[in-house]
Amino acid sequence: MIGQTLDHYRIVEKIGEGGMGVVYRARDEVLNRDVALKLLLPGALEKVGGGHLLREAQTASSLSHPNICTIHQVGQSGNDFYVVMELIEGRSLSDSITATGLSMETVMRYGVQIADALAHAHDRGIVHRDLKGSNVMITAEGRVKVLDFGLATRLEREEISELTLSYDSLESKLVGTLPYMAPEVLRGQKGDHLSDVWALGVLLYEAAAGKLPFRGNTGFEVTAAILREPLSPLPSTVPHGLAAVIQHCLMKEREERYQRASELRAALEAVQGAVLESRRPAEETRGPRTVVLRGMEHLTMKNGDVLLLIGTNKGAFLMRTSRERTKWDVAGPYFHGQGVYAMAYDGRSGRHRLWVPANNVMWGTFLRSSDDFGRIWTNPAEASIRFPRETGASLKNVWQICLGRSEEPEKLYCGVEPAALFESCDEGESWSLVRGLYDHPHRPLWVPGNGGLVLHSIVPDPSNRDRMYVAVSAGGVYRTEDGGKTWQARNNGVRVVFMPEKYPEFGQCVHKIVLHESRPERLFLQNHWGLYRSDNRGDSWQDIARGVPSDFGFAMLIHPHDADCVYIVPVESDEFRCTPEGHLRVYRTRNAGGSWEALARGLPQKGAYETVLRDALSSDSLDPAGIYFGTRSGKIYGSRDEGKSWKKIVEGLPQILCVKAAVVHMDGAPSAKSKSKAAKKRKTSRPESVRRGKSR
Amino acid sequence: MQVLFNIPGPLREFTENRSAVRVEVETGANLLQALQVLFAAYPGLRDRVLTETGETRRHVNIFLANENVRYTGGLATAIPAGKEVSIVPAISGG
Repeated sequence: MIGQTLDHYRIVEKIGEGGMGVVYRARDEVLNRDVALKLLLPGALEKVGGGHLLREAQTASSLSHPNICTIHQVGQSGNDFYVVMELIEGRSLSDSITATGLSMETVMRYGVQIADALAHAHDRGIVHRDLKGSNVMITAEGRVKVLDFGLATRLEREEISELTLSYDSLESKLVGTLPYMAPEVLRGQKGDHLSDVWALGVLLYEAAAGKLPFRGNTGFEVTAAILREPLSPLPSTVPHGLAAVIQHCLMKEREERYQRASELRAALEAVQGAVLESRRPAEETRGPRTVVLRGMEHLTMKNGDVLLLIGTNKGAFLMRTSRERTKWDVAGPYFHGQGVYAMAYDGRSGRHRLWVPANNVMWGTFLRSSDDFGRIWTNPAEASIRFPRETGASLKNVWQICLGRSEEPEKLYCGVEPAALFESCDEGESWSLVRGLYDHPHRPLWVPGNGGLVLHSIVPDPSNRDRMYVAVSAGGVYRTEDGGKTWQARNNGVRVVFMPEKYPEFGQCVHKIVLHESRPERLFLQNHWGLYRSDNRGDSWQDIARGVPSDFGFAMLIHPHDADCVYIVPVESDEFRCTPEGHLRVYRTRNAGGSWEALARGLPQKGAYETVLRDALSSDSLDPAGIYFGTRSGKIYGSRDEGKSWKKIVEGLPQILCVKAAVVHMDGAPSAKSKSKAAKKRKTSRPESVRRGKSR
Repeated sequence: MQVLFNIPGPLREFTENRSAVRVEVETGANLLQALQVLFAAYPGLRDRVLTETGETRRHVNIFLANENVRYTGGLATAIPAGKEVSIVPAISGG
């Protein structure tokens, strides 16, 4: 045949041979393209009659689908009956399946495409009748092409009997067909769309398991297995969902199978996602999914830039400015509509990681992170912060995310509602409840404050890795000296106004505690009524509210370089939680609470009934330090001269819940180790910008 | 039997963008059993629909046809064949 011409097709070479005929690569001399030309064997024609085959092939040629091999022409030249088809470069599915099967992801991908091809053909009244691995081609791009739609010869009843009763080994031309035949076809019925569904079930089983579902050494054995034997179980590596789909295809009763190929396709699509998940290694299964935000203006950070993280009740915003701190870029809202009570920038160990616990009122709180300043955010499938089942508690919100000490760059802490401390020792990948605090006998006696029962302040002692302070509203201050195993209430001298006993051991509604790393034994505390200082690691507290218009307030900040300098923003009272008399004023002490001065230049002094919440006051680490705060009315004010004068940076944001500032070092970030050495050397000098998250 | 779950827009990120997902469950399964099959297929849904104590989140409603299961036996409600399940965020805001 090689070199001969049929109509305008010149036969180039033989590329295959099947039960029905021989396939050649041919050149279409008119359209100047390579095609596949199948020359049917005279026997095939005799069996079904040329006219019938011609009609079926002509019908099949009407199919146009990306997963069906296109039939260009059906022709007859003398006694030669031929079909001209799209030439597909690739290999057959049966050649692709190895002894252990294909990857589950591949099985799904091919399965969906074949089912889609079947659905398309069935909708047009065309049944394949001979779907099997050798009739499915996989192109170099991984696309499935189903061959020979409508070209299958119908096996006559006698022929089936002969085949199924055969005790010969399976070597006949039907070797590739019998194992895919549905029970009803073996009983002599005409194959229809439900027998195609069965055949695809066989194909999926074979692709997933690497072997046929119904096996035998002879035609008789294979037939008996198909008709009577239960399906051999699939290997345990096949996900449950996929196994269920395959079983549904291989129901011996036709009525119990998928009744349409489109249903089968939908079922395969439904388990496709699950298969993708289960194929990943364990650590990746838990790992984050990501959300890529396009169409939003993001920040472009440069070395030495100041970054402001702003959490609001309706999303997060990011702002940046250069060292001069004159002009700000704003990006966001990220996580729009979600409450962001805490944020953190982790610049330790060369990272540039933003952390946002996003609280969705419907779907819960999930810890999200970004390593590129907000372009891509993780979105974990499973909540990483979760109470152990036996506690009976469930996470409501995250109120604080705090970096561990610089010499422990893998550590992070979260303070949550209901009041509890969580710890991560693997850079935030996994989290565990700090049981020492949760199991404290006081905990069941803590009472919720106005905002709920929350653990909001986390203050690791920079000089002692076993010591840490937390504050709970309303439970008070607790300290650990043994890395979190045991905790002691440290509220001696802190007043309670809402209980008959004014100085209880615990139960104080503490709003905020801060310390400076150069004076780790000294703490400052903003209480629900009351300003305090402790010089002995919280063992006792003294009142330092002299010269403030109100000792009620939420926010408190320690100066980044001056251990005696503390900022607060007093509000009038617990009933009227606004700045007194409509004056927006920050108060500062520079003598550790000996006296306080009002900082008001540039801030509105008329009708400014503002509230600054506990985490909405922050500083950068430049010199002079930049001080920033956000109000419940959505304004951000900043000072680049440590509070002497202020400017409104932005307004119109949703209610601001937290503000955090950091200086970003984009290149040559020192390692955690060298940082810690440097920090020890400096001792009282300015802290690293990357420590901002916890020193405030 | 098969159960069809209608998935709300905000959760489709976790169902390959599908608005409806069909799962195969044993005949007579209750809602929790059907949800477990759904969660096995789409792990991102579980913690967004249920809390870690296994309760339906406060602002999430699950409907069996048009009945809110909160009032018909919760997650133990049996699913009659052919009834669709809808996961719907509740009215809330602020």
